[in-house]
Amino acid sequence: MKSETDYGLEIKPVYTPEDIAHVNYDKDIGNPGSYPFVRGYHQNGYRSRVWTRRMTGGIGSSRRTNEQLKQFREMGQTQGILVICDRPSAMPIDADHPIGRREAGVLGWHCTSLLEFEELMDGIPLTGQSITLLGAAPMNPLRLGYIVALAEKRGLDWKEVHGSITEYPFGHIFGQTDNLPLDLNTKLWLDSAEFIVRNKLHLRSGILSQHFQESGGNNAQALAIEIAMLKELLGKLVNERGLDFDDLALIPYELVSIGSRFFEEIAKVRALRRMYAKMAKETLKAKTNKACQLLIAIHTSGRTMTYQQPLNNIARCAIQTLAGAIAGCTAIDNACLDNAYAEPSAFAARMSLNTQHIVSDETGVTDVTDPLAGSYFVEYLTNKVEEEAYKILHQIEDQGGMIAAVNSGFIRNMMLESARQKQKEIESGERLIVGVNELVIPPEEDDDIPIQSVGISDSEEIAQRMENWKKTRNIPLLNEKIAQVYCDAKKDAAYNLIPSIIEAVKAYGTAGEIIGVIRKAWGYHYDPLEMIDCPFDL
Amino acid sequence: MSNKPKIKVLISVIGLDGHFTGAEIVSRFLMDSGMEVVYLGIYQTPEMIVNAAIQESVDIIGISSHASNYEQIGILMDLIKKSGLNDVPVMCGGSIPEQHARALKDMGVSKIFLPQSTSQSIINYITSTVKR
Repeated sequence: MKSETDYGLEIKPVYTPEDIAHVNYDKDIGNPGSYPFVRGYHQNGYRSRVWTRRMTGGIGSSRRTNEQLKQFREMGQTQGILVICDRPSAMPIDADHPIGRREAGVLGWHCTSLLEFEELMDGIPLTGQSITLLGAAPMNPLRLGYIVALAEKRGLDWKEVHGSITEYPFGHIFGQTDNLPLDLNTKLWLDSAEFIVRNKLHLRSGILSQHFQESGGNNAQALAIEIAMLKELLGKLVNERGLDFDDLALIPYELVSIGSRFFEEIAKVRALRRMYAKMAKETLKAKTNKACQLLIAIHTSGRTMTYQQPLNNIARCAIQTLAGAIAGCTAIDNACLDNAYAEPSAFAARMSLNTQHIVSDETGVTDVTDPLAGSYFVEYLTNKVEEEAYKILHQIEDQGGMIAAVNSGFIRNMMLESARQKQKEIESGERLIVGVNELVIPPEEDDDIPIQSVGISDSEEIAQRMENWKKTRNIPLLNEKIAQVYCDAKKDAAYNLIPSIIEAVKAYGTAGEIIGVIRKAWGYHYDPLEMIDCPFDL
Repeated sequence: MSNKPKIKVLISVIGLDGHFTGAEIVSRFLMDSGMEVVYLGIYQTPEMIVNAAIQESVDIIGISSHASNYEQIGILMDLIKKSGLNDVPVMCGGSIPEQHARALKDMGVSKIFLPQSTSQSIINYITSTVKR
């Protein structure tokens, strides 16, 4: 078995003061709450607030997902919801698209209309808990519209809603479904972020290294990618949209993938806080401490959840949750024990919520902030992963930044090479995985677990409903609002489309329609799959 | 062996699945083992896959899937039968639960490779299945 970090650094049998002799505590580490924030942002850590313990929701129709969220509340999840959209929404195409109807509700909830958001939130508070909607960047402006429209219907001020409903435009490079071209995806992300900042909304945007890492990237690469993405996107908000960095620094949050390499995962998160703080201060000229703090949430790794002997995944999930808690974060959601099979069953979801509470309430981990600081090994690993990440970051910058490195294929090749390397190490036995290449049992003796699934009849039902419902809308009003979106999308790229998109969302325009006409205005086909024509007379 | 034509494998992700890592890793090691790979990538409909299989005269089709609705593969199997491609075996790889794996085999899928299948097991299967 290898004694190496996942990015190939050899690990010694013991670490001593010599390994961190050059470290200056005040300058390089600092107390919790002090720059460069290696040890976290709050002196009292979890004594001020325990991380949000939440499960990932989203399956099938909005009604079905609403039931699921209510079930999660009954299980004890009250700090916030996290809901993932289905694949047609991520493209985005509507459920009644010929391909949409084959996969509506797969791997998340179908949410291409305000109607579906209203149904999702039926009987569930929009405030008093964090609202996190994830799935794909093309839905960003729609989701902003959903929040604004529903808040208004419920008589709430938009500013009372907090959470994260937008995300970075690079997901499709890392295996996420999303078929919007990068230039348009980036423009709409900038529009959404600018709208949020100018209206002082308490809504974050996920700039995530999770998808990259779940697709095979290693820990050092994940840090480099994260910083490169933040630098490019936040830099654009300053330079192209004229925003003040200290205002827009309240926008990004990062979802870090935490695997089972316990000490390395903790070191990665500590290094990330320092790297971000330095970039914010030195490159983006942050004036306040707050603007040097990247909000960090944790996703325990789906990639490590094995198909074989799925109950073993409970142990993996517990180790990863503990690592995330020790690393310091604002929220954790787990890939569940059945992650290699399907969307989480109620059984698997309950196991993950319970695991988080066992970690937060039984282990004592919430008592002390950054308890591994000062460990020769952990401080050494924190420095090393950062050092390695800077090397990769410089390579990305030599390419011209994140977007240029994506377009040249550099990022994708790096990720695939790392994934291939991991596969080789497992096949050669250099890395052991219980139930896969060690302590293997015959398939017929494997654990029996409940499997949640979505069938074609569920997809068809969502499609049928959408097809019929579309005809009941106020068509003249819809046509007017859609035409306005199209007209605005023809204007300068920096012209913010969010106000007209919100109006179209309120008129129950769908994602397929609204993003479709924007695509058309930008010279792309209305339909990302080029199968249906634009139904509007523009 | 050297003067025999290479085995030609079509590898594709099906439907709206964006997870390409598995399909690309498999494509790479099949090429490294001396096979010719026609890699279609993501967002391929059953119709596109069948058309490519006919145009490229492939020996075997490999579908990568990470989903909970396997309807797209069912449609593919129907199309394959209708297109007279019955002699082209279809193998699937991905996180496919047991009951779905059984259903896919009933539809005519010749082999399911579950997560953590080794590259050698996939290479061996193809070389023993494709008749030359």
